[in-house]
Amino acid sequence: MLSFESVYRKRGGTFLADILGDDPLDFWVGRFYVGLFGAISVGAAAFGILVIILSIALIGDGDLVRVTISAPLRQYGLGFAPFMQGGNWELIIMFATVAFVAWALREVEICRKLDMGYHVPIMFSFAISAFVVLEIVRPLLMGCWCEGFDLGFTGHLTWVSNTGFRYANFYLNPFHAFGVLGFFLTAMVLAMHGSAILGTYNTNADPNKETANVDNFWRDYIGYSIGELGIHVLGFWLAIYTLIMSDLCILTSGTVVKDWVDFWHFQIPWFH
Amino acid sequence: MATVIARPKLPPFELPEPSSFDSADPMGVRLGTPFRIPLLSRMGMSTQTGAIWLGTWGALSVLFFLAGLGVFAFAALAQMQGNAFLVFKYFANIQIAPPDGLGMAPSLQQGGFWQINLTFWALSVLFWAARCYERLVRYQWRPFLLFAWLSAILLTATIWVFRPLAMGSWSEAPSLGLNADLDWAQNFSVLWGNLYYNPWHMLAIFFLFGSTMLWGMHGATILATAAEGSHQEDAEIKDMHSGSHKSMLFWRWTMGFNANPKTIHDWLYWFAVGTVLSSALGIILTGTVVKDWYVWGVDHGWVQQYGPMTREAINGAPQTAPVGIGRVASPQVPSGQGGQ
Repeated sequence: MLSFESVYRKRGGTFLADILGDDPLDFWVGRFYVGLFGAISVGAAAFGILVIILSIALIGDGDLVRVTISAPLRQYGLGFAPFMQGGNWELIIMFATVAFVAWALREVEICRKLDMGYHVPIMFSFAISAFVVLEIVRPLLMGCWCEGFDLGFTGHLTWVSNTGFRYANFYLNPFHAFGVLGFFLTAMVLAMHGSAILGTYNTNADPNKETANVDNFWRDYIGYSIGELGIHVLGFWLAIYTLIMSDLCILTSGTVVKDWVDFWHFQIPWFH
Repeated sequence: MATVIARPKLPPFELPEPSSFDSADPMGVRLGTPFRIPLLSRMGMSTQTGAIWLGTWGALSVLFFLAGLGVFAFAALAQMQGNAFLVFKYFANIQIAPPDGLGMAPSLQQGGFWQINLTFWALSVLFWAARCYERLVRYQWRPFLLFAWLSAILLTATIWVFRPLAMGSWSEAPSLGLNADLDWAQNFSVLWGNLYYNPWHMLAIFFLFGSTMLWGMHGATILATAAEGSHQEDAEIKDMHSGSHKSMLFWRWTMGFNANPKTIHDWLYWFAVGTVLSSALGIILTGTVVKDWYVWGVDHGWVQQYGPMTREAINGAPQTAPVGIGRVASPQVPSGQGGQ
């Protein structure tokens, strides 16, 4: 326990306590908070990991870097596939989605316990949306679970590579370009924020002087200082922007656009 | 009757204290007068804009950046027979290509524009690094920002200078232009056997996606507890209050691990810097040490070898297909006759 932790560790304020009046799962195990959604999340993750272990054992390739659990074969469409022909993949995706959503709800409960904003679960929901779009929404729109993402270390790299070439040239996908821009921008702004704090903390007895120093530096350097709160607002929205662009990038490929090179051959009447 | 709306008194602009370090610079002026963008306060951002420090290094940096931009514009116009409308229309496809070999380009059109443009921009980012250093000294920061900027320069210099030098031709570097650098990235990957199997590329992507994830986590955590002052990070590092307590406990209870107001910025900084450093390593090894990352991956047991790309492998072997479903049995070839 951290020195101040006991002040904050309080029972109550959970979903089960709201509807039942008492929450039997409202406790901590070591550092971890459990709760109803923690139990659901860990349970679903355990089932998923069990399917993964069973699949790897049946595939018989002990190299965990190379082994791949592929999406179902095309012939099974949106139906159930036999276990070793993609049924394992379907089960893993199902359990993983349940685990992720329950984890987000568990974060909501922790936020309620600590009486803080819901920004982290909202952000995590956007991250889940990237997984759900890739593994569930796009395969549904394409009419086949075989469109899903293969699971495996180098296996998923192969999938990404093949999918990029399948739509001619993914670099020409504008949402991909805007998404990559978002990733690069987050890295740059992250380095700037990290530098500002690591560069100035504990350099003056008065922290207000350190903060004024940061503001004056950025105004001198680039003409604008966004401020202590503003930099976190910027980082938050940059991360959300990047995730939305990633969603759109894969959602449009194959569903509305078959070829990103051909996509640009539109004609603007007054321009051409 | 006209109504006069009394404007609220805004606090005065924050300006840095006079410093002998600043006045020692012959071009040491702050350009522009500070002004406010009130809308920014609605988003929690600071409203004061300006003034910006010029300084000798800043002036040189801007000068060479604009000069490079001018060379780019001139080269683009030259490509489009001096037609500015065509430059605008085909802007995405304008391509200022590097010359072959490591020497001076034979003409402006055959790589000369590229060499001049790149030289100017290289000087511009180096002068900007000097400006960064000079401002860091002025405000007595530890030099983290300079190291981050130099890391970014290292990556671009690896792509445009070091790797072409190692490969023996400037033509290994990307052309300048919007689609040109996208095409270079695509071709670079295909040419060297799929960059996805380059472990340094993997690490760079890990750091890059990790940077976005960390911004999501850190930004969201601070915004969620900003009502209790967790965003005042310099103050919180000295003396923690409930906002930081909650930020730390949230992650401790969620995933069993937490940083603190100081160490979270170590994570942020080194993830961002790690992205460019591992990218630079991945680039310099490609084509110089490793010719084919897919073959490298197969050799090292990382990658599952694709099957043989034969008609039989793709369509299924016809001679073993069951008879009766749209297929007639192929005549049996007596052994010892024909074929291998």
